[in-house]
Amino acid sequence: MKLFAEWLSTTRPSVFIQEHNAWAIPTIQSIHIVGIAMVMGSVLLIDLRILGWAGMDQTLRQTVRRFGPWLTNSLWLMLATGVLMVVGEPVRELLTFSFWLKMALVAIGAVVAVIFQTTLRRHDQQWGETLVHRPSIRTLAILTFLVWACIIVLGRLIAYDHIWGSWSPAATQ
Amino acid sequence: MLPLLTWLQGSALASRIRDSLFIFPLLESAHVVGLALVVGTIAVIDLRLLGIASRERSFRRMASDIMKWTWSAFAVTALTGSLMFITNAAVYFHNVSFRVKMALLVLAGLNMLVFELTAGRTIREWDQAPAAPPIGKAVATLSLVIWIAVIFAGRIIGFTTTRASLAEPAPADVNFEDLLGVQPAKK
Repeated sequence: MKLFAEWLSTTRPSVFIQEHNAWAIPTIQSIHIVGIAMVMGSVLLIDLRILGWAGMDQTLRQTVRRFGPWLTNSLWLMLATGVLMVVGEPVRELLTFSFWLKMALVAIGAVVAVIFQTTLRRHDQQWGETLVHRPSIRTLAILTFLVWACIIVLGRLIAYDHIWGSWSPAATQ
Repeated sequence: MLPLLTWLQGSALASRIRDSLFIFPLLESAHVVGLALVVGTIAVIDLRLLGIASRERSFRRMASDIMKWTWSAFAVTALTGSLMFITNAAVYFHNVSFRVKMALLVLAGLNMLVFELTAGRTIREWDQAPAAPPIGKAVATLSLVIWIAVIFAGRIIGFTTTRASLAEPAPADVNFEDLLGVQPAKK
């Protein structure tokens, strides 16, 4: 991974970002944060609807149809800006414990979001309304929200990977 | 202003945050979770005003459902932001991006006030309409621009200030590994 990161940092796109570091990195990071804001807003309102704490004038299906696409599209935006950050600062990103734990949680969060949306689309309105009464789905709503919150925390901790002690790959070098 | 900044920076709370390996990074993380929720939920309201999304829903109903979460998240963001500020008050206070960000937050508040005094007074008339009247749309557009600018300004603060931290953590300092009890406890 260290060799890969070092190779990546010598590639043209990476060099370009490094040379324009003064504005490129903060700009990409800011767009990435706008993206996570869209994700968090969408996840929050879908989860609140499942829990019955907001949006009760809409069915679950209507709620997911409203926020699902924004969630999915924001995730693509985050993937694009995320890739740019890795390309721009490969060593800083790839050689951290926080980054890889974050990627694992992103995989979980994204898979849950996709399965949830496709399953709900395959069933009728009524099914969604019985779904929200299942304790397992209500628990899932809270868990997914926490997963996305942890993803934000880990994203920020990439900059402070030393707090993981010897778990951080940077510590062993 | 300066004596206040010096006092804040010298306070026991500020040095407690500076001395810790974790507190500042975790404050920053909570700040981002809070602001993501603030901006994410405000965007939902703004898109409704603009008639871009949620066009079929009652505005009043939506706003009352969502704004309490927005304000709770804002409280978290303001609190964590203030705690980060006091660790290095004089530096942040003189930072251009920090000042721009604070000015933008004031502007966001004034923008809300404009809404309350104009379109906010006639909600009954357009509550079920697909979009707000022109002044409401203008407020919504400005709100989206301001909040995105707040995020940019906030991110740039991190690049234009050096964090006041007490250099190297002491050898006896605990990290997550120790907290989680992975290593055998030191006797």
